[in-house]
Amino acid sequence: MLVPILGSLSSERVLIFILTRKEGYAREIARFFKTDLGPVQKQLEKLELGGILVSRTAGRTRLYEFNPRYTFLKELKSLLEKALSFYPDEEREGLLMNRRRPRRHGKPL
Amino acid sequence: MKSIKAMTNAELAAFIESHLLKRGIDVVLSGGACVSIYSSHKYVSMDLDLVNVRFVKRRDIRSAMKEIGFQEEGRHFRHPDTELFIEFPPGPLAVGKEPVKQVDERKLPTGVLRIISPTDCVKDRLAGYYHWNDLQSLEQASWVAEAIKIDLKEIERWSKVEGKLGEFKRIRTRLVRKEKTGSK
Repeated sequence: MLVPILGSLSSERVLIFILTRKEGYAREIARFFKTDLGPVQKQLEKLELGGILVSRTAGRTRLYEFNPRYTFLKELKSLLEKALSFYPDEEREGLLMNRRRPRRHGKPL
Repeated sequence: MKSIKAMTNAELAAFIESHLLKRGIDVVLSGGACVSIYSSHKYVSMDLDLVNVRFVKRRDIRSAMKEIGFQEEGRHFRHPDTELFIEFPPGPLAVGKEPVKQVDERKLPTGVLRIISPTDCVKDRLAGYYHWNDLQSLEQASWVAEAIKIDLKEIERWSKVEGKLGEFKRIRTRLVRKEKTGSK
């Protein structure tokens, strides 16, 4: 959807994922889009270097989220939200309707 | 000309900035090093964030930095005669949602230092506090306000634009009290 602007499909996927899930890590994003890990990792690093994302570690996982100090964040999010509205229903719901509430350790499904 | 080893942080920044400007690369000092300079080194920063204002290509920066003995190491540049890390964050030069309108210039023995103003330095630190609740950032903003005159009304206006007016009102006294004792 935004590849002509963003320059790569991986970049769009990463940004859309972070938009909908608020945060994410490389393997999780690659798994959701059923794509290779390498290009996703590369884009996450590139977007962090550009000041668009920031990261922190949780255990051994590096979690990425939008940099609240990024100057064009509001405008970027508007553009991504518009793009998301054109995504196929199934994919959009898959991004939005993931479990957010906690699950107690050891609790049966 | 002083050796790099003998340069202060500000002098080194001025030296690098002046060299890059000769190559048409416009950078401005921002971040923690400004806190260090404006607070008379109450805070120690080990890196120089030189914002790449006009989005010059990395390879051009690499080439210009090599001319003065700096080698690229990942995201940073290092020189054998200094422990400081030099970084070039991408532009635009901004604090929060707004562009930086005024860049201060100071003539130093090693070149001209182009640096964000003390007021923008405080905004820059407050942004860290507002968005991440980072108390170290708030403390650094206080140190700057204690050491040098800042425009508190402008900071209040900016805080409102950032949607953090309530937060500003809560921490205002930490800047007001120290503004009155400002030395400049």
